[in-house]
Amino acid sequence: MKKLFWRRKKKNNDNRDKRLEDLLQKSKDFRSVSYKNPKTQISFTLSFIETLVDEKILHESALPKLLEEKFHRIEEVKDILPLSEVEITNDKDQIEQKLLNGSVLLTIDGDKETYCIFSAQKEIVRNVTLPEVEFSVLGPKEAFVESLKHNLNLIRRRLPMKELITEKLTVGNLSQTCVAILYIEGIVDMENVNTVRQRIKEIEFDEISDNSYILQMISDNSHSLFPQLLDSERPDRVAATLTEGKVAILVDGSPHALIAPTTLVECFSSFEDYLLNWTMASFIRLIRLFAISFSVLATPLYVATISYHYELIPEDLLGTLVASRGAIPFPPILEALFLELTIELLREAGARLPTKVGQTIGIVGGIVIGTASVEAGLTSNVLLIIIALAALASFTTPVYRIGNTIRLIRFPILIFAELWGLLGIFICLCFLMAHLLRLTSLGRPYLEPLYPPRQYDLRDSILRLPFTALYRRPQYLRPKRPMRFNERDLKKKKDIDE
Amino acid sequence: MVRLPKILTLFMFSAALSGCVEKSILDDIVLVNGLGFDYCDGVNIQATVVYPDYLPDQPPKDKTFTGRARMKKTVLQDISRQTTDPVVTGSINTVVFGRELAEKQGILDLVDSFHRDPRVGSTIFLGVIDGTAKEFLKGKYGIRSTGEHVAKIIEHNIKHEDLPRTNMQRFFSDYYQTGKTPFMPLLRKTEAGNVELTGISFFKYGKIADSIPAEKMFFFKLLSDKYSEGLHSVKTKEGEASVRDIRSSHNFSLLQQNPLKIRVKIKVNGIIDEFNGEELNPSTVKSVEKEFEKIIYEECMELISRFQEKEIDPIGFGQFAKTQIRNFDMENWLSTLYKDLSVDIKPKVTITETGVIE
Repeated sequence: MKKLFWRRKKKNNDNRDKRLEDLLQKSKDFRSVSYKNPKTQISFTLSFIETLVDEKILHESALPKLLEEKFHRIEEVKDILPLSEVEITNDKDQIEQKLLNGSVLLTIDGDKETYCIFSAQKEIVRNVTLPEVEFSVLGPKEAFVESLKHNLNLIRRRLPMKELITEKLTVGNLSQTCVAILYIEGIVDMENVNTVRQRIKEIEFDEISDNSYILQMISDNSHSLFPQLLDSERPDRVAATLTEGKVAILVDGSPHALIAPTTLVECFSSFEDYLLNWTMASFIRLIRLFAISFSVLATPLYVATISYHYELIPEDLLGTLVASRGAIPFPPILEALFLELTIELLREAGARLPTKVGQTIGIVGGIVIGTASVEAGLTSNVLLIIIALAALASFTTPVYRIGNTIRLIRFPILIFAELWGLLGIFICLCFLMAHLLRLTSLGRPYLEPLYPPRQYDLRDSILRLPFTALYRRPQYLRPKRPMRFNERDLKKKKDIDE
Repeated sequence: MVRLPKILTLFMFSAALSGCVEKSILDDIVLVNGLGFDYCDGVNIQATVVYPDYLPDQPPKDKTFTGRARMKKTVLQDISRQTTDPVVTGSINTVVFGRELAEKQGILDLVDSFHRDPRVGSTIFLGVIDGTAKEFLKGKYGIRSTGEHVAKIIEHNIKHEDLPRTNMQRFFSDYYQTGKTPFMPLLRKTEAGNVELTGISFFKYGKIADSIPAEKMFFFKLLSDKYSEGLHSVKTKEGEASVRDIRSSHNFSLLQQNPLKIRVKIKVNGIIDEFNGEELNPSTVKSVEKEFEKIIYEECMELISRFQEKEIDPIGFGQFAKTQIRNFDMENWLSTLYKDLSVDIKPKVTITETGVIE
């Protein structure tokens, strides 16, 4: 990529400095104000971008001290100011960056070489709210916000340990977005951290406005429909995965964290699974698995059996199917595509509209369009039931991204079902399986523990066994300390008559 | 992206090749579920198909078509000329033959074509009709379509009554098994317009050789099938009891060669459903057991001598002998050896329950 950005040029400092001044002068929110200290008669200038600076800090903490205390040289200012981030520097790169992040530049008349820069950043952050994408009935109700500082606070509070390392990187040639990589040293496999760090460092893009950018850029296969990094808005989930030995990536300005590496089965697990009794949690996971396969296969199977394999239909069902299809003027595939597209339209309309209108759309679409199209004889009511159930089932996915994946992979399977019947469905599933087998997340197999089969990891995949059975951290992460606790140390519970 | 053109070509090929797959959309085909064959003039056969015309919110209306030709497939072609949609065979579940056809012409060639058709399941039911198949299939029985109705009758009689297990698979298994005679249930349309299971017909070289009435089916099932569930009344001095058989098993053992002697042990566990005598005490139960054993012995012996007379072997003594005797002379089995066979029947009846009244 051609370097088009002026701030990258290291030479001709004066020239560049001038340009900085010139450019800033053009902005109406740039201020440069001069004051005179009444005690030492020293004039000083404060330069800052008005919209980025918290005036409260400036007027209540900084200015009174600067005007009342004695100082002659710029170095003395550091002792006067009651702020944590005060720096004396002459590095123009640093000055520029800080100025643009909401710091105030202090210069003393007569000393053009050294500058004092102190932070008076105004932070506009919304409150910590309920998780919306990964809502759970039980458990903590905190979700990440758009500020990196706040998000780190949410995680650090849960893991008060010195081994929790926070590395910071800056990506985005224009946006200079701050990205933090979190991991627990001593548990995490450093290879994963190095991979993440290297891939993030190599990002060349002008603006990184959300973690989704990073997700797409550092995925092993960015063409794949399957998310190879998990994103979560729950600090509790992120903290829990960090202790497993995973790496978390937080992006300033994004209310989601990325978790890597991940597997396909993890995409179908919700954090609430760990809050419920293990039997209940396993049951819910199985239900989800069923829902997903139903959602992907129901309509294609309908089309395939109706068009090709009438002999597979049980006799008692034949009457119902034939009678409901009898008056429909379209072949099964058109009928199915028509309804599938309707559902997709409703979803998209519901997602784009404000919440209240969105609900109305759902009701209008679901009830009115569905019933009307059956009454008009455009679709059969059996198919309407199947499609509605399939759509409902696809909403059971706890991870939003995998829900989208399922939404899309139905269509090729549907078309192949029309072309070749059951054979077509299986050809499609073979392609899907081949793709999933090749997929990796940070180089770790995506289908683990199903393939390669890892007996231990199965305990927390399709099922969720009790915590006493989960004495090891997931094997595919290759954690430095593989044991959570020693199972031999488990104390036996006393029986009631002992 | 080198792979994209490849994938596109693949897709184009698959789209083009899909034209080679034969499509049969459910509502654009004639889903035949019952098929009947009748004797017509010795050369041609007459076939009748019955298919349900499914209508919304009401029971299916049966429609029948009849055609004549030399072979089954050509008959279907003849019938296709009369129907609006193509006739498909995939949902057939009952095939019946008129008695005249089964006696005069044989049915093997006709069944064979079903055996070859991959769309037709091997668990379809075959049956012989007392009368003509055409008349039988034209009847309207119950809310189900005729083919299904007949299949249900046969199925539940196998499961809960005394019809031995039978379907096309078993028919052919018996047919190709040397030393065993295949059989089919015998059905008829009653005057009141219902279907009735009237007995079992035995086939020799594809033609009916003998048939037994429904009352004898219980004993035939005891001899030929593992599990028999049927009701039988037993008269004793103390009163008449009806015994429901809940479990039965039979066991063959070879006692002697030249002439052959085979012992058949029949174990029956039953419960007394009904008793019209004075009191049902252990000694009466004993006498019911004894009496029932006597009935089983007599009836089974009668059945076996009847089969020997007609030179058919539906119980499979020949097959049993073949497994026991090295170099068994299968060629002369039915003609000579079978006639000299003596069978010793040892029934053992146990009444396990007499009901809740004490």
